[in-house]
Order: sequence, then structure tokens, then C-alpha cells
Amino acid sequence: MAAILAERRHGFGFVTPLLVVMLAAFNLPILYMLALGFWSKQGGFTTEHYAALLDAPIYLRVLANTLRVSVVAMLVNIAIGYPLAYWMRGLSPRAQFIALACVITPFWISVLVRTYAWIVVLGNNGMVNRLLQWTGLTDSPVSFLYNELGVMIGMANVLLPFLVLPLFAAMLRIDDRLMQAAASMGAPPSTIFLKVFLPLTLPALASGALLVFILCLGFYVTPAILGGGKVPMISNLLDFLINQIPRWEQASALSTLLLIVTLLIFAAYRALDRKVGA
Amino acid sequence: MKRRALIAGASALPLVSVIRPASAQLREMRMVESGGKSGESIDVGYAAPFTAKTGIKLVRESPASLGKLQAMIASGRITSASVELGSGTMVQARKLGLIEKLDWAAINPMPMFPEAKNEHGFGYQYFSTIMAWRKAAKAPANWVDFFNTKDFPGKRAIPDYPAYTIAFALLADGVPMDKLFPLDVDRALKKLLSIRRDISVLWKAGAQAPQLLKDNEVQYAIAWSGRVVEEPDLAYSFSGGMADLSFICTVKGAPKAEQEAMNKLYYEMSVPENQAKAAGVIAYTGPSPALDPLLPKDKLGMFPTAKANKDVQWVQNAEWWAENGESANKKWEEFKLSL
Repeated sequence: MAAILAERRHGFGFVTPLLVVMLAAFNLPILYMLALGFWSKQGGFTTEHYAALLDAPIYLRVLANTLRVSVVAMLVNIAIGYPLAYWMRGLSPRAQFIALACVITPFWISVLVRTYAWIVVLGNNGMVNRLLQWTGLTDSPVSFLYNELGVMIGMANVLLPFLVLPLFAAMLRIDDRLMQAAASMGAPPSTIFLKVFLPLTLPALASGALLVFILCLGFYVTPAILGGGKVPMISNLLDFLINQIPRWEQASALSTLLLIVTLLIFAAYRALDRKVGA
Repeated sequence: MKRRALIAGASALPLVSVIRPASAQLREMRMVESGGKSGESIDVGYAAPFTAKTGIKLVRESPASLGKLQAMIASGRITSASVELGSGTMVQARKLGLIEKLDWAAINPMPMFPEAKNEHGFGYQYFSTIMAWRKAAKAPANWVDFFNTKDFPGKRAIPDYPAYTIAFALLADGVPMDKLFPLDVDRALKKLLSIRRDISVLWKAGAQAPQLLKDNEVQYAIAWSGRVVEEPDLAYSFSGGMADLSFICTVKGAPKAEQEAMNKLYYEMSVPENQAKAAGVIAYTGPSPALDPLLPKDKLGMFPTAKANKDVQWVQNAEWWAENGESANKKWEEFKLSL
């Protein structure tokens, strides 16, 4: 026991520099940012910036809109990502490699480029609309972009790897013999999936979905461009408060609120996770 | 200063500090500006003659934002002597004490339009917010036509910035140009809501407007003049447009030697010949009333300060926006949620 403790202390020496850097370069600025929200112009403590948030319901409405868009984007990601990971699991190793490469490749392209690429593909004069009109499926262009649909498509594209990769890894670890055992007991495929396979992948699905959801909360470029400015998100408001009118205190209060909401959601997830685990 | 910059991250990154030689001789001086073609025009028009005369090199960095300036002042390390600010952000920066008062006697500029000669900034570049449309679409004569979606059918793209949009809705609603300010924001938003089905995009980056028009995504747009005047498929009109200014300001607490050098740079920015060179890079013009004869005749119609264009426009009221911007923006966000 003593040896293990000594070992631990020994290891601690190696991580100290990193800890110091994290503390000074990352945590202290965040604390400063949090404190800014309680700082009045005359100096001293105040809660006026938080009161202002409640006075102007628009801030809360945009926050609510951000949460709603994030939830929908998360569900879209699950709807696409889960079947994709499931399908990939059944492929030959070679095909798995290719499919995995296809999922990961977008990671290497900047978000901005990917976002603008959707304009080329889905715009009124884009490839998809031209094809639709050429084949006679539609007479006039379909509005894929500059609405919430456009934001969803863009966000799903950017965030899908965050869901698929952990999910796929978890699915690979599932022992095929478990399903075979269930089948040998006479369970139909749907029961095997619902009672055996799905529960085994739930933890990875939940953590991947949570990751996607939290990343959605901070999305900036994609909603601004593909949403045509009509899908207000909290980060756009923050940009205005920080860069266009200097109300850093207000921005700090708003970010703190966002942080609290995110932490609450995370806590709820942890509580749920423990319940399921127990 | 978002009109040319691509959408940048919201974070105000701490500036990388520059190691300065301790020698008394000033070798180089930094400026934070918008970047892109506008930055190039500063090099060609003003930095080149300035460096030739003083031997001081001007190093540019971009993009510029009020957040960045505020962070630089707060950090206590003044790494740039000057910064480019929009008219509205300049007023904000002045109120926060982030920029120096200019010594106009020391600058001793050549004649310039009065609104460009600000106590705290040198209005070095006029840009206009105007209406533009695809040549195939029916041409609107004024803002009433632009907002008349029945007789001028087609989708519209408007800036996602209330300061560049609200006033045009009021013009469309019958408010005369000289009675725009103080702006009736509620009335403007009501007018905008009346055509909400035809507002397809609210754009953030200046490059979006011409692209949306070219892609036939929208047929009419409110756009920044320099973005549309040289597009062959597009038509535009300065009538009822808004003339606005970009300012170069001296950063509060910049070293004395750099402040003096800035005064010499400001002088170069007032010389009409230099302004003509800058206008050759980007279709935005400097503040000299004597600039027109120096500009290419066939392109005169593209420039915000060409007499025929300047006379039909009105000038942005930055002071009003500095006072009322925050409340107007709240209403703007509400308007966007109801689109």
C-alpha cells in the first residue's frame, strides 16, 4: 500500500508542470471571467448583470432556442449515427477501415470550409436542387438552406464523428456470442437487439450524445451561415456583447448562465448513468 | 469591423507580445486593421509614402475588433500604435478611454470632409451600405420599391446588423432621409416583419451578400458597396444609401514616438493622390473633397464619395448607435426569433 502511495506521489511530480499551466492559463482566466459578471462599474460586488438578464427576456429566449436547436441536433445525430455505427460493425475489417476513414475525413477540413461547401451542394443552384429539377421531381428549388434544416444538416455533418467514433468502438467490444446465445434461446432478432445489444451500447451512446449536445451549445459559424441568420444562438449574442458593444460583464453573466445549464445537464446525465449502472 | 473580415471567433485572444528594441530610433510600428483588400490598400496608398519619408515600417495585423483593443489596453502592453474602428465602435472606444485624442494641429491635414475629421479618429475610408440586385430582376428606384415585394418579387438578403438595416426600413416606410435620427426602431421592425416571408437571409459576413445574389439564392440585397459594384451580373444604386466611415485611431498609451509617427501617417492619409492609389485596390474612398478628378472616370459611379453618389446618400449617426445600440440589438434579436 505504502509502495503504491509512493508511486502515486512520484507520478505527481511529472504532472505538476501541466497542472500549473492548466491552472494559470486556463482556470484562472475562467475564474476571472466568472468574477467579471459580479463586478460593478464603480467597483465592488453586484448582481445587477444577472438581474439584467432576467429583465431582458430575449437573452433567456435565445438561450432556450440554443438548447432546443442543440437537442434536435443531438437527436438527428443519434438517428444517423447509431445505424451508421451498427452497420459499420457488421462490415469486413477492410470495409470498416474505409467507412471509418469516410467518417473521420471531415475532421481534417475546417468548419468554415465545410459549412460553405454545403452552400455549393444544397443551394438553390446547388447540385442537389439541379438534380431534383432535372429529374423532374420538383419544379422549383427546395429550400434546404437558410432555415433550421440547413443548420441541422451542417451541425450533423460537423458533429457526427464525435458520436460515431465512441459508439463504434463500444459496439466492436460487444461479444458476438452474447447475441448467439440469445438466438439459441429462441429470441427473435428484434428482441436480441432491444434486450441485449442496445443496453450494451447505451453508455457509449449517452456519453457521445452528451458530447454532441454540449458542443452544439457553443456553435457559432454553422448556424450563422447555414441558418441565414434566422436561427439565433447564444454564441452570436456573446460575440455582439464582447466585440461590438463592450459589455463584458453582461457577456460574463450570460456565459455563466450557459455554463450552469451545461453543468446541470451533465450532472443529470451522471445521476442517470449511476442509476442505470447500479 | 466585420464588413470584410470573415466571421472570427468570439474570443479575444491575448495578444502575442512583441519584443521591442530599446533604441530610441523607431524602426517599425504596428497597426490592427480589417485585413484583406482593405489592408492592402493601406499599404499601397499610405504606408508606402509614409515609410519612404520616415524610414518607419508599418506592420499590419488583422482582424480588428473592439474586444481586441480592450484586451490590449487591459493587459497593459500596448503592442499596436493604431487600430481601425468602425464609426460606432470608435464612439464606444472613446467612451471607454481606449483611444487618444488626435492632435489635428500637428497632423495638419490636407482638406477633408468634416465628418471624417473626428476628435478621436481619422476617417480614412468611406464605405456605403446600398441596395443591389440581380440584373435579371426588376430594378427598384428607391427603398419603397425595395420593400415592395409585390411589385418587385424576389427574395431579400439583409445585414444581420441592426445598425446597417433599421434605417432603410424607415426610409421605405416614408421617413425622409434628414429625419431618420432618432431612429424609430419599433416602426422599422414592424416594416421589416411585413416582408418577413421574403427575407431569406440575414448575412453576417460582407462577402455573403454578393454570393447570395450570384447564386440566385436571393434577388435583392442590402450590401456593402465595395462588395457589389464590380460584379458584372449585379446592379446597384447609391440612392438613399448610407455613407459610413472607417476610422484609424491612436491607441491610448501608445509610446510618444509612435504617436508622433502616427501623425505623419495621418497626414499621408489626407493626401488625395495617396487616396486615389488606395481606391485603386478597393472601391472605397478616402475623405478628400478633391479626390474625384484623380479617380478613373469610367469607374466614378462605384465610389461612395463621388459627388453624384455622396449627394444622394445620408451619413450614419454613430453617436446615436453608441447610445441606443444595446437596446436596439435586443429588439433585433426578438425580431429574428419571430421571423
